[in-house]
Amino acid sequence: MLEEQMDILLGILYAILGNDYWWGPWIRGVLGLCAMGGMMVAAMFAVWLERKYASDIQSRIGPNRVGGRFGLLQLIADAIKLFTKEDIKPDKVDGPVWVAAPVLMFGSALMMIIAIPFGAFIFNGTVYPLAVTQFDISILYLEAVSAIGIIGIFMAGWGSNNKFAVIAAFRNIARMIGYEVALGLTIISVVIVTGSLNIVDIVNAQSTVVWFAFVMPLGFVVFGVALIADMGRVPFDQNEAEEELIAGWGTEYSGMRFGLAYFAEYIHMVLGSCIAVLIFLGGWNIPGFIVDLNIPLLGLLPVAVFLAKWVLVMMFVIMIRWALPRIRIDQITSIGWKVLLPLAMVNLVWSVMLGLVWPW
Amino acid sequence: MTDAILDYIPIAVMLVFALIIPFVIMFIVKQITPRNPARFKNTTYEGGKDPIGEAQVRFNVSYYLLAIVFVLFDVEVLFLYPWAVCYKNSVVMEAIPGFQLAAVGAMTIFLIIALVIGDAYAWKKGAFTWTR
Repeated sequence: MLEEQMDILLGILYAILGNDYWWGPWIRGVLGLCAMGGMMVAAMFAVWLERKYASDIQSRIGPNRVGGRFGLLQLIADAIKLFTKEDIKPDKVDGPVWVAAPVLMFGSALMMIIAIPFGAFIFNGTVYPLAVTQFDISILYLEAVSAIGIIGIFMAGWGSNNKFAVIAAFRNIARMIGYEVALGLTIISVVIVTGSLNIVDIVNAQSTVVWFAFVMPLGFVVFGVALIADMGRVPFDQNEAEEELIAGWGTEYSGMRFGLAYFAEYIHMVLGSCIAVLIFLGGWNIPGFIVDLNIPLLGLLPVAVFLAKWVLVMMFVIMIRWALPRIRIDQITSIGWKVLLPLAMVNLVWSVMLGLVWPW
Repeated sequence: MTDAILDYIPIAVMLVFALIIPFVIMFIVKQITPRNPARFKNTTYEGGKDPIGEAQVRFNVSYYLLAIVFVLFDVEVLFLYPWAVCYKNSVVMEAIPGFQLAAVGAMTIFLIIALVIGDAYAWKKGAFTWTR
């Protein structure tokens, strides 16, 4: 009886994940909405984690009033507040650009969600990645879509017609383009070794041997620094340096428009941690331990492993925020172009040599 | 339709959602929020004083140099993507003898000319040095 039910369940799963029926991809597209909702919860969790962990590092208490001892509902309260605030549109803003900017940022962050496998379901030795869709070029797609968010930030700064916002927008572009090249080169190193642009293939390549973080430590360090810069986190957050630029590109935004842009930034951080886990830290794999269990619940162990790694990476990113001081903009560009780019090139050479002998 | 196209249908579906959802959120917000426009509330923020002039001004040339260098390097990285996927493809390697050596050699020459020399040139010209 149980096996029959499992068969039916697997049949449905297979029909949705495969392309055997015409409605399979469309259902996956709509399932993207669930992933979107899940990502909203994850981003809220990231905000909560950041506030709690930051307060812990600084020996404060942090949010502890709304939602029990740990302030779990604080973010819901904040969301309600943002939702009901007046939508102020300053007179001098560049209308269409200013309105479109948060939409572009939020939309591009949402578009990133569908290509990322959030763990996998392993049954009878077959890996079913829990991704909305998986296609041949998912890494390239992720890079391309996340780059749209950069344009969104620039539009926000330029369209605000505010001096602080414009300075922030320029700094943002200078920072992003400095690190985008190093980021692209390290991602391409992984692609060279595995010979595939598909994220699922890259994760599966790490199940037989060790993670790419150990195979190419230099590439991992460059990728980590460039990723933190790309997410606009603290040592590199020149675009919203509060002490000099009020709120950076977000100075003229208020209420839910600010909320959308802010949320997009957090989704970027969450997804950035996901990508780091997937392509360098082995995704849902545990080193030396291949999960091949026929018990359905234990088959979900990879998801738990993925989530644990993901939270650890996010905590590391948050920890850096409270450990390092902000770097000046001229230092940021010189680190990006004069240190990270040559190191990324060295790593590229190493990965080509590694790729010729891969898999061992 | 081939399988490859079918895999992109979810992206099309999500694109529609991703474009609609922010506008839906803003529409709901418009319905439930108060509106009290006031003269000073709608001014551009500039430390509490009346803003002087426009903000959309001419900018430092350093940004322009960085952008040009970026376009150069990013296009080079783009060339690496198709190369990375096929340079050790077993099908191609069997069909063309010596393909791998030729592929690695060609990419080495390209990278040395474009990436290494290009980076050194931009470095020497001071494109990465901030305004003196």
